[in-house]
Amino acid sequence: MTHLGGAESTLFWFAAPLSVLGALTLLFARKAVHAAMGMAMTMILLGIFYITEQAEFLGIIQIFVYSGAVMMLFLFVVMLVGVDSSDSLVETIRGQRVAGLLFGLALLALTISGVARTTFPSFIGLDKANASGNVSGLANLIFGKYVWSFEVTSALLITAAVGAMLLAHRERLRPKLSQADWSRRRIREGVNVAGLPVPGVYARHNAVDTPALLPDGSISELSVSRVLKARGQVVNTQTLTAATEEFEESTGDSTQEEGGQQ
Amino acid sequence: MAADSFVQAHIDYGAVAPMLIVFGTAMVGILVEAFVPRASRFWVQLPLAIAGMVVSLVVLVTISRGHEVITAGGAVVIDAPALMLQGTVLVLSIIALLAMAEPLGTRSPDAFTQSGASVPGSPAEANAVRLGATSTEIFPLTMFAVGGMMLFPSASNLLVVFIALEVLSLPLYILTGLARRRRLLSQEASMKYFLLGAFSSAFFIFGAALIYGFAGSLDFDAINKAIGTNGGMDGLLAPGVLLVAVGLLFKAGAVPFHSWTPDVYQGAPTPVSGFMAACTKVAAFGALLRIFYVAFESLRWTWQPVLAIVALLTMVIGAVLSVVQTDIKRLLAYSSITHAGFVLVGLIALNTVGISGTLFYLAAYGFSIIAAFALVALVRSGGTEATHLSQWAGLGKTNPLLAGTFSFLLLAFAGIPLTSGFVAKFAIFSAAVGHGATWLAVVGMAMSAVTAFVYVKVIVLMYFSEPAEGTAVVTPSALTGISVAVGTVLTLLLGIIPAPLFEMTQHSTLFLR
Amino acid sequence: MNGPDYSYAPLLFFAGIGAAFAVFSVFAASIAGPKRYNRAKADAYECGIQPSPHAEGGGRVPIKYYLTAMLFIVFDIESVFLYPFAVSFDRMGLFALVEMVLFVVTVFIAYAYVWRRGGLEWD
Repeated sequence: MTHLGGAESTLFWFAAPLSVLGALTLLFARKAVHAAMGMAMTMILLGIFYITEQAEFLGIIQIFVYSGAVMMLFLFVVMLVGVDSSDSLVETIRGQRVAGLLFGLALLALTISGVARTTFPSFIGLDKANASGNVSGLANLIFGKYVWSFEVTSALLITAAVGAMLLAHRERLRPKLSQADWSRRRIREGVNVAGLPVPGVYARHNAVDTPALLPDGSISELSVSRVLKARGQVVNTQTLTAATEEFEESTGDSTQEEGGQQ
Repeated sequence: MAADSFVQAHIDYGAVAPMLIVFGTAMVGILVEAFVPRASRFWVQLPLAIAGMVVSLVVLVTISRGHEVITAGGAVVIDAPALMLQGTVLVLSIIALLAMAEPLGTRSPDAFTQSGASVPGSPAEANAVRLGATSTEIFPLTMFAVGGMMLFPSASNLLVVFIALEVLSLPLYILTGLARRRRLLSQEASMKYFLLGAFSSAFFIFGAALIYGFAGSLDFDAINKAIGTNGGMDGLLAPGVLLVAVGLLFKAGAVPFHSWTPDVYQGAPTPVSGFMAACTKVAAFGALLRIFYVAFESLRWTWQPVLAIVALLTMVIGAVLSVVQTDIKRLLAYSSITHAGFVLVGLIALNTVGISGTLFYLAAYGFSIIAAFALVALVRSGGTEATHLSQWAGLGKTNPLLAGTFSFLLLAFAGIPLTSGFVAKFAIFSAAVGHGATWLAVVGMAMSAVTAFVYVKVIVLMYFSEPAEGTAVVTPSALTGISVAVGTVLTLLLGIIPAPLFEMTQHSTLFLR
Repeated sequence: MNGPDYSYAPLLFFAGIGAAFAVFSVFAASIAGPKRYNRAKADAYECGIQPSPHAEGGGRVPIKYYLTAMLFIVFDIESVFLYPFAVSFDRMGLFALVEMVLFVVTVFIAYAYVWRRGGLEWD
């Protein structure tokens, strides 16, 4: 066994418990987001471990691909399912958890007993493995001996892209209408020829959820998207005026102070 | 494998050409999806895919046979078993693809949804159907799966085995989720298949890592050589072999890694179930053969009893559970589990009779099961596939042709003489008796009797009960016609004159190391 | 190894200063800043929809995000292979270049498909 340097062992004792903590969070957190964050922490720490063990390429890829891209995908999936949704802990098959735990422990025991029985020969050592540089050494293998695996991987990437498109992309089956197309259509149909009324513009709000006021003081239903209406996210214009009044109460009405510009 | 200098791997293009053609066709298929207008995609993709596989088969038979080598840096081995398995995969895939393509008079494969991304039953789905959306991506995806299945049994390196496993699995996960009818069931099946498949892949890669720790190499030959010499490190080998076996037995659908099979075969588009039952099994057992006969050959007395127990469990559980099935697709799924058990009996015989029996069984079963699932896809009730057994009642009276063909295929599954199933079972069980595992042959025959009871029950239901309300059989195009005809005729021919195929399998038992 | 290797010490030092500055800023702002809150101040400024703590359906986002992330990963993994190639392509000769071009072209097929089918459009 090679001796760990002082800085290296300090880093290990600092980061190793954290990575175990992250892994335990992944296992025991009820909310998927917390589990994903725990996993991200473990992955980043693993990347740090790899780099300190002079496997720079692996460490950078770990952070670059796993902690970056794959974790982002995980979080998107979590958001897809709903951030607030948490796992149901009801067992659908009775005794499943106990059985799973027992099998897991059996596998662990098998592996540990196997590894413990092993007498390892002396290691070749990093100096030899990294003789031509860590990344170059890998390049020699990827583009040399493992060229077939490398090329076949592209089939996997294509399948992944096509599969994602098939299962998640709703294809546009009719051409997209441009602004000019819409304009022509409105004139042809003679309805809302000038376009729908725009959302309301208030002192502090002109967002799409803010309805416009008609001359008689009522709200123009056409000025807000029906999606927002269905979600109940349309702003009540009363609150906007109320907030403005409240603000004026605390600061004083500037229009009044400056000598009645109105 | 010197890491300190770049050594260009030599590739024997004559040996790997069949695989390159299949992958190339798949990529052209993707380009067709990208650039050919929607309306003509189907009639471009289908001939393209079929032509790709036929050309690949021709190259395999004419050119690759003269190139028996270990090539591409020890990644791929083309030897007699590999050629036999690749040829089997190609022939089975061609007739499976014909059944999968069945358009039923439209311009899209009938078994597949036209809009995989829309919510089942949603207006978006109806809109996609109305505007003629297609999912002809199934053709290139199937080609990728076929390429993976050809690589799987010819891989000579655990890393390549793993990549081939993924290349063949990923398209199958997607295809499983694209059924046109009962889409929620299909999506659930896809999800289950994907999750369990990912687990089994993880087991496999963990095992491969342990074996790498043991042997210092992932090449089969190097692993086998290390088994005799690396005495002090046996502790890594046993769990490694076990975990690798888990990954492969999962794909083969052997007990206790079978639980996905009924759900996936039931949920997947029906012809895809046939494709999986035939071609995935060929590929998975091919890889099992090579790994256990080449990489772990020196360990054979250790793994043989373990696999014997797996074979026993697979036969018994598959047969017993098939008795209580009420859904024809689930019934065929449990039947395929039982058949996996039979094939395992041949695989563990450790002699050339066992290998040739295994190869023969895989081909014979493949032809029958593709035809059987293609027929199941034609029985409809109320706009959806009629898979419940009660809906099959009286089919013998309303559609004698379909019922007769299906009955014949069921008899082949049962192993009745004059069918390929009989010859295949005979080969397997004589191999088992030959190496002293008479008990396995006895259990196998008992389980054949149990499954025969199940099949006869279905036949009786079709012929001796009143026709079910609302069940109708759609008239397929020539595509399904050819697929079923080839499958059925070969099932019969291999039962009457099995000698030509047998000779081929007997000449395909020598693994190159 | 002869004693600890200090070549990364400046990096550690820099990270320490960065962390200290972040913590200092947060505390300094909370101590030095005036705290006069009203409802208008807590609002989203002028534009933007009111943030809702409990959106419909538990705050689920459309699957479009997933598609983008998935496509990103596909090309991310392509770049993983480009990295070692770029480091040592000059040593490896023509064969490696052909390999890499072949790989990039095949993954580009996926790109062509995604692009033609509108997978890159956001509407």
